[in-house]
Amino acid sequence: MISTEPLILLVEDDPADARLIQRAFEKAALGARVTRIPNGDDAVAYLAGHEPFDNRTSYPLPAVILLDIKLPRRSGFEVLSWLRSRRDGLQRIPVVMLTSSRHNVDVNRAYDLGANSYLTKPDTNEQLTKMLSTFDQYWMAYNEHPSLGVS
Amino acid sequence: MVESQPGTILLIEDDAADASLLIRAFKKSGVTNPIRHLKDGEDALAYFEGIGELGDRGKNPLPILILLDLKLPRMSGLELLQWMRPRKHLRRIPLVILTGERDPTFREAAYDLGANSYLIKSPKQEDVLRLVELIQQYWIGLNEPAPIVLESRGPWFGSVHL
Repeated sequence: MISTEPLILLVEDDPADARLIQRAFEKAALGARVTRIPNGDDAVAYLAGHEPFDNRTSYPLPAVILLDIKLPRRSGFEVLSWLRSRRDGLQRIPVVMLTSSRHNVDVNRAYDLGANSYLTKPDTNEQLTKMLSTFDQYWMAYNEHPSLGVS
Repeated sequence: MVESQPGTILLIEDDAADASLLIRAFKKSGVTNPIRHLKDGEDALAYFEGIGELGDRGKNPLPILILLDLKLPRMSGLELLQWMRPRKHLRRIPLVILTGERDPTFREAAYDLGANSYLIKSPKQEDVLRLVELIQQYWIGLNEPAPIVLESRGPWFGSVHL
C-alpha cells in the first residue's frame, strides 16, 4: 500500500491560466508541490502510471487533483469518470474542478460523476491567490487523505 | 434583487458536547447560516425523507452542507451515506465527514461511498473554531453548489425537475 505525497496535480491546458495558478500557489507561500499536466490523456497516463509517468518516485500520486473541464483530447469529465470507475484505490483521490464554467449542467455533471468540489476561476489574480490559499489549507493541511491501497 | 436566505447547515452528531462546541464555534465565527442539529442517522433519514412533521421543506429545507459523524447510534454515518448516495437530490449536496475516527478503513469506505471530504474533529475549542472557519471559508465561501433540484414525494417516482 502506498500513500499520496503532498502533491497537487493541476490538469490545465491553458498555459496562461496554468502559470497564474502556479504563481498564485507560490505567492501564497504554500508548501505544496504543484505538477501541471496539459491535457486529459496525459492526466490519465500520469494517474495510471503509464509511460512516461511510470516511475512513481518521480511522478507520485497526488493528494488532490485540480481539474479543468475543457481539455484537449480527453475532457475533465472523461478523466473524472475514468478515475471514479477504478477499483484499485485511485478512485478515492479527491478531485476539485477548477473551471471558468458556471453552467448548471457542468456543475451537476461534475457532482454526478463524483467530483469532491467545484471551484470557478475568479476574475482577478488577487482573488485567485486568496482562493488557492484557502484551497491549500483545506485540502492539504486539514482534509484527511484517503489511503489508496495501490501497489 | 432580493438577497436569498443563507442555506441550512445540517450537523449529524450524537455527542452533545461535540455538537455544542461546533455550534458555538459556528456562531462565534460569524456564520449566519441556520444550523440544524440531528442526533442520529435515523433522524437524518427522516429529515431527508421528509417524514411526518419534517415534511415541510419550508421549515426543514434540504441543507447546502452536511457535517456527518461516523459513530452514530442505530444507523451509522457510513450506512446513512450509502442510503443517500443513489438519491440524486442528496448526492449533490457536499457532505463532510467530521469524526474522531482515524482508522484508514473508515476513511477509505467514506471516500468510496462518495463523501466529499474527511475531517478529524478536535476536543479543543481553539482547534474547533479554526476548523469551522475553514469549513465556512471553503464550502460556503468558495465551493460552487449544485443548483437546487426539487425532490419528489415518494422514492418510487424518482426526481422531479420543474
